[in-house]
Amino acid sequence: MTDDVMRFFAAWMLTHEAADEGLKAAVLRGDEGGPEGMGGGPDAFVDGLAAMVAEEKEKLKRDLEARARGEEVSIETQPDPALEDLRFEVGELRGRLDNIESLLETLVRKSGS
Amino acid sequence: MASRRLTIVGTVARHLIGALPAAGFGLAPGTVRRTAFARAWRRSFEDLGPAFIKLGQLISVRPDEFSDELVAEMQSMQDAVPALPAAAIRAVIRSEFGREPEELWASFDDAPVASASIAQVHRATLAQPYKPVWGVELPAGTTLAIKVVRPGAAESIRADIAIARSLMERVARMRISRRFDPIALLDEFALTVDRELDLRMEGRFADRFTFDFRDDPKVVAPRTVWPTTTARVLAMEFMTGWRLSEIETAKAHGVDCYALAVHGATAFMRQVFVYGRYHADLHPANLFVTPDNTIAYLDFGIVGFLTDEERMNITQVMAALVYRDPDRALKYSAKLGVDVPADRVEVVRTALGGLLDGTYRPDGTRDFAHFGLGFLKLLGENDIKIPSGYGLLIKSLATVEGVARALYPEIDIVETAKPFTTRILGQAMGDPARLYERIPAAIRAAMREIVA
Ligand SMILES: Nc1ncnc2c1ncn2[C@@H]1O[C@H](COP(=O)(O)OP(=O)(O)O)[C@@H](O)[C@H]1O
Repeated sequence: MTDDVMRFFAAWMLTHEAADEGLKAAVLRGDEGGPEGMGGGPDAFVDGLAAMVAEEKEKLKRDLEARARGEEVSIETQPDPALEDLRFEVGELRGRLDNIESLLETLVRKSGS
Repeated sequence: MASRRLTIVGTVARHLIGALPAAGFGLAPGTVRRTAFARAWRRSFEDLGPAFIKLGQLISVRPDEFSDELVAEMQSMQDAVPALPAAAIRAVIRSEFGREPEELWASFDDAPVASASIAQVHRATLAQPYKPVWGVELPAGTTLAIKVVRPGAAESIRADIAIARSLMERVARMRISRRFDPIALLDEFALTVDRELDLRMEGRFADRFTFDFRDDPKVVAPRTVWPTTTARVLAMEFMTGWRLSEIETAKAHGVDCYALAVHGATAFMRQVFVYGRYHADLHPANLFVTPDNTIAYLDFGIVGFLTDEERMNITQVMAALVYRDPDRALKYSAKLGVDVPADRVEVVRTALGGLLDGTYRPDGTRDFAHFGLGFLKLLGENDIKIPSGYGLLIKSLATVEGVARALYPEIDIVETAKPFTTRILGQAMGDPARLYERIPAAIRAAMREIVA
């Protein structure tokens, strides 16, 4: 009985390890780049993606550690993009009004003289 | 009109005849002959003024339509013309606003900053504080650049377009171009010119650019001062710095060329892959660098726009280049309108694979221009029509590469595209609808792999 459980966990661990190694190899290939690094083709994109995910993972780790130390994390301080877009649209509208207003002034000036 | 036509024909004839000896009277080998005639065309265009200079600029961004020799000649075309006297520029301003420059701005400098075929630029100072579309208020006394369309430029260009049409047909007959559609090109030309003649478009795009790069203090564009702007007068912030064409001076002042090259290339990738709108008229006179390593973009006269769908497909094609995957390149080029006939697919695929593997320079960096222009040529050789925006984008990327490499010879601009393409495609993959559609097949594939 104990044997079976042992084998089950051993298989589980082995799968886990193989998957981890596979992923690490992909990250490594993706990092390498260049003519000697990764070979071309559809798999290369997967490797490149894996390398970026690994970078993201490191960043996440750093953010979590920073948060544990009670520091502010960059993601939370970023302004809401939708609100920024709106502010820009309003700014642009103001620009157009400024422009039309000056056009109107020119017309008045020209018809007056 | 009739006499203008004579002038045009006469000018072209004079230059072509002048080129005959260099072309071995038509008997010299292909490239020698084509180069001689291309130079004659370029000189004629320079002599004939704004419409032809613009036309030449358009030809220079269409390597898919014209011979290499002609494209190269048109790229080297000079757009420096003698400055107009200030009185003529003041007259334009007066007719646009009904006021003197001094009533619009605190001061106006009669000496021009620069003079090109369509517009002339003068310096002025802002009279009252102005809050631009985006960013901090400009205080009174801020130095401005006033770009003024030359009097008569619009009219003479429109008149010349009509005549250019018949001339272009002659170009087609002289076989300087491959598979050439003069009407389509002239329509495109008329549209570009119309847009460029209305400076408000340029101002709007510069403001949008400022907004797009709001989180990056190292990439700037002049913001527009709208109350003193019209279709023919553009008032904007004055940018100080060195033109990229004066890079040696900039280097002497301690500008960090490597940082600039990487940052400049990255900023361009961001325009294309993230925003789908990009400055399509980059050349070393339109880029300034400052001592604190800021890049200023000028002259948004020609702008490339991509729909969201085009943007995604372009990203895929770029990813194909980054990851050397000819199937991906073909699949998404097809979605962009590159229609490879079934019986050519294998040939094109093999050649494309060779191109992708052959883009490495001896130092291990990749040569985008080699791939981009090679791809266009490959399609041309196989009689495959190239969608018009494609040529412009490839030319722009090749220019960015040239500029970046002038700054820092070892830069690999394909590498700067890698994070953008990978992230954007990664994001698109995470779309729940797509996941829902693809996950079952992915699981099945994994199981198949395990039980195999
Ligand atoms: N905002 C600005 N600040 C400083 N110089 C400028 C500005 N805008 C234009 N210039 C100068 O004028 C030149 C020509 O302007 P540009 O907009 O490129 O005109 P064109 O479209 O006719 O080529 C530029 O190369 C630059 O030297």
